[in-house]
Amino acid sequence: MRSTKKKVWFGVKGVLLFILMLWTLFPVYWMLSLAIRENSDLKGGAGLLPHSFTLVHFGELFTKKGFGAAIQNSLTVTLIALVISLICAIPCAYIFSRARYNYMLRKPAMTWVLLTRVLPPIAFAIPLYTMMNKMNLMGTMIPIIASHVLLSIPFIIWFLISFFAGIPVDLEESAKVDGAGEFVTFYKIILPLIAPGVAAVTILSFMTSWNEYMYAVIFVQSPKRFTIPLILATMNSEQEVAQWGLIAAGGIMSLIPILIFVLFAQNYLISGLSNGAVKG
Amino acid sequence: MKKKLLATMLVMAMTASMVGCGQTEEPAAAPEAAAPAAGAVEVEAPAAATDTSEHVTLTIAARGGSHVDVIEAVKANFEEKNNCTIEVLGLEAADLKQNVALDAANAEGAYDLCMIDDPVMPEFMEGGILLNLTAEGYKEDEDFIKASRAVGKNPYGTGDTYALPFNGNVQLFFYNKDALEKVGGTIPTSWEEVLELAKKGKAAGLNGYVIRGQQGNPIVSDFLPILWAYGGNVFDDQMNVIVDSPEAKAALQMYLDLLAQGANFEKNDIVASVADGSSLMALGWPSWFISGADASAAYAAIPSKANGQEHPTGMIGNWMMGVTANTTHKELAIELLKYLTSAEVQKQTVDAGCVPTRYSVSHDAEVTAKYPHLAEICDATDNSVVRPRTPKWSTIEEVWGAELSNVVSGTKTIEQGLADSKVAIEAEMAK
Amino acid sequence: MKTKYRSFIYEMTVPALIILTGLSLFPFIYTIGSSFTDYYLLAKEPAKFIGLDNYIEILKDDYFRVALKNTVLFTILCVFFETVLGFLFALFVNSIKRCNKLIRTLVLVPMLLPPVTVALIWQTMLSNNNGIINQMLNAIGIGSFNWLMDVKLAFGTIVVIDIWQNTPLTFLLCYAAMQSIPQDQYEAADMEGANGLQKLFYITIPNMIAGLTMVILLRTIDTFRLFDKVNILTKGGPANSTTTITQYIYQFGTRKFQMGYASATSVIMTVIVLLLSAFYLYKNLKEMSE
Repeated sequence: MRSTKKKVWFGVKGVLLFILMLWTLFPVYWMLSLAIRENSDLKGGAGLLPHSFTLVHFGELFTKKGFGAAIQNSLTVTLIALVISLICAIPCAYIFSRARYNYMLRKPAMTWVLLTRVLPPIAFAIPLYTMMNKMNLMGTMIPIIASHVLLSIPFIIWFLISFFAGIPVDLEESAKVDGAGEFVTFYKIILPLIAPGVAAVTILSFMTSWNEYMYAVIFVQSPKRFTIPLILATMNSEQEVAQWGLIAAGGIMSLIPILIFVLFAQNYLISGLSNGAVKG
Repeated sequence: MKKKLLATMLVMAMTASMVGCGQTEEPAAAPEAAAPAAGAVEVEAPAAATDTSEHVTLTIAARGGSHVDVIEAVKANFEEKNNCTIEVLGLEAADLKQNVALDAANAEGAYDLCMIDDPVMPEFMEGGILLNLTAEGYKEDEDFIKASRAVGKNPYGTGDTYALPFNGNVQLFFYNKDALEKVGGTIPTSWEEVLELAKKGKAAGLNGYVIRGQQGNPIVSDFLPILWAYGGNVFDDQMNVIVDSPEAKAALQMYLDLLAQGANFEKNDIVASVADGSSLMALGWPSWFISGADASAAYAAIPSKANGQEHPTGMIGNWMMGVTANTTHKELAIELLKYLTSAEVQKQTVDAGCVPTRYSVSHDAEVTAKYPHLAEICDATDNSVVRPRTPKWSTIEEVWGAELSNVVSGTKTIEQGLADSKVAIEAEMAK
Repeated sequence: MKTKYRSFIYEMTVPALIILTGLSLFPFIYTIGSSFTDYYLLAKEPAKFIGLDNYIEILKDDYFRVALKNTVLFTILCVFFETVLGFLFALFVNSIKRCNKLIRTLVLVPMLLPPVTVALIWQTMLSNNNGIINQMLNAIGIGSFNWLMDVKLAFGTIVVIDIWQNTPLTFLLCYAAMQSIPQDQYEAADMEGANGLQKLFYITIPNMIAGLTMVILLRTIDTFRLFDKVNILTKGGPANSTTTITQYIYQFGTRKFQMGYASATSVIMTVIVLLLSAFYLYKNLKEMSE
């Protein structure tokens, strides 16, 4: 009796898995299939399976659309913003999470951080533009990096506070007993324990920054500084028929770097999010 | 832990190298890699009157897509003759408008030239974004198609020139030739005939007529020619809102009748279905159907007769190019503008996708041999109708488009929808 | 006690707070300030103070009310389904023993794609000119539909696309939450003979309340800003059935260069989101100060 029940259950799970994969991946399959078809196969009513195979769309991305430079720019902006955000936000989250560090500005500061997260980014765009302009920074990558930092820091602080809070204070007490200073305690003992949490916010921040469009388009003033989302946006035009091959290829190329990043951090990610983001 | 440390170091190293590459102001690989689609371009570029011993960079804010290709194909010559670098910033239409307007508030503009869609011209000219070319000594060039030239003037048609026509476009009537033969029809000249044909098409199993009913700019552009054919318009001569006139109601009724014989498609689907014959007729822009020498569907002038009357119906949709009022290189920018809209450049870039805006180029023997439709577009432009000239046109499109969408979706009757349109447009104009 | 840590506290928090304040203080003041003026970007005269006129106009505007209704409805539906589905996916993937890592990665992919590309790909799939979805539906006997231009279907279609794109996020958070539940609780339950459903309701869910609340809050704030998909796929139509508040801000504010109006709408939008998430925010703040 037991083994048939298990077999049925196994079969049901298999069907459920199939449905899950179909739901999740069908559009991705579709995108991939469009990217590798020749133009003649991309007319209205394109069938489920490609009738042709070509890599010409990917080639066009790099030769005609400057995708190579865009990847460089995207990587630069994303990584620099990420590093700055992490360095600033992690210590800050630690302080906010520890009751013994309660000082006058703590509550207002935390409220401010939360508020920055809630205000819609569109409200920030024009004033930031004005600021950057006044400071004569528009010809550099600084405005876009700064705006991404502005997006990331509140998110990282907020996320990591609960991670830090999940680590019992006794650890710090015993470190104190052993004669360690505050910073050493933080750096050598606490930080390694939330390294998974850091990996988690890193991935989610990377993803937000990588696909970010609104600030990128306001702050860019030269085609040399285009990021990937900007290139992708120009492919969706009112005046011309959409070139689906190019659009799909662009989507795939944008996906690859971030997929590599996620694959790499996968292990850390799961155990990371479990340590504290869920604490009651 | 070690693996993570190594990865972190790698990331840092990558970052450092990216910073090095990313922040230099030297031309990166990308502009060079965007090799001109056309072959060698032998256009004589004019040298600027002033002697520029320093190397300047001119920035053009353009609409991404074929326009960027066209400019990239011809800029090398000008760069050489004038010792400058030309950067073309390709943006999507709404972002282009936003960025140009934002930059206009600066004392020193980051953009030297910018492209403007023709309905947006009043907003830009009134906002002081464009340089008054006539005041800078520019003499009107009659080789530009008259209707296109008129768009660049403030007031429309009569005033000083603020922008020159860069790319031509005028709405046409597209149909599938084989399908038309199959239903035994001839090219319609009145909208009643279009409806008859559409019914035949539907009986034959096709979409008789396809509307572009998406809310906003799409449905407005799709409906306006029919409204014009019936003698209606958004405003009358005194800028009163007449969008609920009896003519408008008749036109909207015709629009709904046509929809009943066909379908409501999005732009890409319209092109695909008329091209492959599953739809019989639709209105559209040449830039959708015609690329290079091939037209994926047959075309004719938009039917101008309805209810026994006749009115011009071809909607013009040029992309203009002007010099920004706050450019830091005025003379050179004006020279570049003249160069990019010159007859020689237009003739050379027809291959790259340019639709000429000059009589000479559109009727040039060599050009028409390869691209016969360009002469027809030129003629259609001569008889074209321009959309209402008001700085509030974008918002009017949005609110009117919403009400039209209401009617097409059946959530409002024609009377109700048009009445609400009038109220909304009047409210907008009053602000 | 406080003076002992003061320099440490400052060293650790000052960089973040300076950057954050430096970048956000002016925008905050600008937004709130200009919301009381008639600031028009291309105006020749300076902006005039007009008090609450912007706010009154917005709240009286029919289009805003429609946008508000749509946005709230979107948010409630999307957040509900994304959370429930994410939870179910996590339960399911958690129970898979083999290839677990691969499946986890694959489930995350929709979230990683650029929003513009997601919108365009869905547009071509849902095209009512023989788009692939309609093709498949035709093949199994159900007819084709005009997914994005039928006033009865467009709203639901956008909801489905949003769910597709964002369930990976909720899945991730729920999965991680499940991973952190101590095994001994389950073992104790097994010893008492509890069945699967009882374990679910008495152990799994109670342990995950905090995580689920965070998921709901996160998604509420982000879904409220829905814009990209709608702007590309339906432009707010048909018949204003998919207009959102952010779209309203663009159409009647930013794209018209009416910055005062846009700011006022942003302030209203912020207030509404704060109200929607008030409970969790309050709880969060209270906890932090303990």
